[in-house]
Amino acid sequence: MRTGSELDRHLIEFAQLLRSLGLRVSASEILDAMQGLLLVGLEDKERVEAVLQATLVKDPNHIPWFQEAFRAYFAPPEHKQAWEAEAAKRSSEHRAKLEQSRQELQFQGRELDIPEEQRLIYAQLPPEEQERMRKFLERSSEGMKLGVPLDQSFQPIVERAIRGSLDYWRRRLEEEGALLPPGSADGVTSEVEKAMREREIQLLARDLKQIPAEEWPQVIKLIRRLSQRLASQVSRRYRAARRRGGVDMRRTLRQNLRYGGTLIERRYKSRHTSRPKFVLLCDMSASMLKYTEFVLQFIYGLSSVASGIEIFAFADHVVRLTDKIHKGQAFSEMVAEAMPRTGSQWGGGTNMAVSLSELIEQFPEVLNKRTVLLILSDAQTLEGEKAAALMGKARRLVREILWLNTVPAKRWQEVPAIKMFEPHCRMYECYTLGHLTNILNEQL
Amino acid sequence: MKQMARMTLEEFEKALEGTGYITEQQDRIAVTAFLAVQLEKPLLVTGPPGVGKTEIAKVLSQVFDTPLIRLQCYEGLDETRALYEWNYQRQLLKIQMQRESLGEEDLFSEAYLLERPLLKALKTEERSVLLIDEIDKTDSEFEAFLFEFLGEFQVTIPEMGTVRAKKRPIVILTSNGERELSDGLKRRCVFLHVEAPTVDKEVRIIRAKVPELPERLAYQVARAVGVLREKLNLHKIPSIAETLDWAKALLVMGKTDLDPAWVDATLTLLLKSQEDVEIFYRELGAERLLWELKPPRGDGQHHAHGK
Repeated sequence: MRTGSELDRHLIEFAQLLRSLGLRVSASEILDAMQGLLLVGLEDKERVEAVLQATLVKDPNHIPWFQEAFRAYFAPPEHKQAWEAEAAKRSSEHRAKLEQSRQELQFQGRELDIPEEQRLIYAQLPPEEQERMRKFLERSSEGMKLGVPLDQSFQPIVERAIRGSLDYWRRRLEEEGALLPPGSADGVTSEVEKAMREREIQLLARDLKQIPAEEWPQVIKLIRRLSQRLASQVSRRYRAARRRGGVDMRRTLRQNLRYGGTLIERRYKSRHTSRPKFVLLCDMSASMLKYTEFVLQFIYGLSSVASGIEIFAFADHVVRLTDKIHKGQAFSEMVAEAMPRTGSQWGGGTNMAVSLSELIEQFPEVLNKRTVLLILSDAQTLEGEKAAALMGKARRLVREILWLNTVPAKRWQEVPAIKMFEPHCRMYECYTLGHLTNILNEQL
Repeated sequence: MKQMARMTLEEFEKALEGTGYITEQQDRIAVTAFLAVQLEKPLLVTGPPGVGKTEIAKVLSQVFDTPLIRLQCYEGLDETRALYEWNYQRQLLKIQMQRESLGEEDLFSEAYLLERPLLKALKTEERSVLLIDEIDKTDSEFEAFLFEFLGEFQVTIPEMGTVRAKKRPIVILTSNGERELSDGLKRRCVFLHVEAPTVDKEVRIIRAKVPELPERLAYQVARAVGVLREKLNLHKIPSIAETLDWAKALLVMGKTDLDPAWVDATLTLLLKSQEDVEIFYRELGAERLLWELKPPRGDGQHHAHGK
């Protein structure tokens, strides 16, 4: 059965390609695909695609990935060869850049201990910046301290300086959207990834601050859907808690007196309902400014689908926005009105210690065992230790604290306050809509 | 019952068409439903509300001329509502009547079993269509409970043992995507995602369901609804059923053309919440909506409303 084994091979390879793109494909699904293909035949490409999609893709968000993967995998061989060659070229360039950085980032002839990720940032720097860094290393290598030449024990200090500088550049390149991903070494995979970037359907994976204004309607739709999902989950919990909690003998007996005491109709006790109440605390300081639109949409999305959500904004002082949002006040107006009271102005510095202490003292009615406190902030705050202690206090008052952090998780160790806050809350990185979707799907 | 085992895809497509259900090659509804039927796998259909997910089950029951058994899911649905429950009242009466000579097996027999939709689908002599509607509204516990049913087409009743399907039912599960379904459930199903129909498809649907409506008007209605779905950030997009209601209203009122006053008067047939109506007037309005319907070449033959 030569055709059979060829088909097997292609199917397995295709499933592996899907897996490499993040889709979960099980063996039983591959088997379904195989049976489906035998049923429908291989003559019509459209139908083959339909069968593979129906059996291998189980999430609507994955359909665009599948479509691109199908196009690339079943492309003519000459296209695939061209993609392979391109990927191989890119991969060798990548290696060459790493090698070059090894040659250039040296102190007294010894290679600096710098992670690969940072070396790649060095490779993407403008030539004058690379030159400046090399000059610094040369000068340091020949430097003197108190008339004595520097020895190799100074290398860690130099490394720290270089790492700090590269870290600054990483942030800057990220801000400018100029940081290039390394790309896959496999031709077909890299073609799919490229096509997905071009189709701009990576909305879920793009940093929220980089989404241009014209794409916001799409994002708003998504946030609204997520918010609806959140709201429905709130009510699901409510129903689950209402599940019957055993027979209520007193009411059962009273009900069944008419049958001479035979227990024909049962009556049940129901548990007390405890529907969680959400309190949203939004950071509106300078470092969060770029997420303004996100914060705003998140607030509006939530308040439009779930009633009874309390919303507060803070930079240092806390301002209650709940009523303003319900009145439908324009956001710019609301900010202008509220911000002088939250701190110096919209976009000022943050002091969570002040805001948490005010929340606890001035709004005790919103913090109780039914409260789920949602904090939307990057945790860049003054008085971190004091704020963490207050967070601990707040934690004892409420059911749970969920922190949506706009700082990527891999950078958390760079923000000292995060370590202090973590014991008191569940913290999630949340700077893309994909993160938000995952949090809402899996955690709430 | 029609012979589903020997049906080819072309015959299946023709049978769908025969019931008045409109499909297109791009929407992949026909080929995916065919796969589910032939592979004897449940079909999981997702998509926004009102795009015809539930209709697929109804149509399959027509195509194969089999009974449609429906389980409407809701929050808190459990196996006593979905699968079976013992008829306690009847059991108690039996106990009262035959206190002395009663064995346990007398009470836990089929006579005392109240069949709910899932069990009914297993015990039906002919192959039935089972619609599990809005599965995303149930708890994850219920979803896990369904695994045995969907994987093996059998259920276990502790007092009676395992009940296997006499004929495997055609199972259609629908979801509006309110909650992420588990991998286990998705793995057991063939998957279909249905989006709102294209204008051309909706015209064909209108023509099939409201044949008295002239084609030109059907096109205008479909285009107008398409504009509402595409251009506005509505909380709930108009469903196909609502489009059909709108088209019927046009016919009942004897209209030969869409005009702004009529759109204003009948808008609530399409938009069912005050918020969506407000969005419509804030962002579009009736005149602008009709202006959007003008053909791109602007032959000026009809309704050049707008400024």
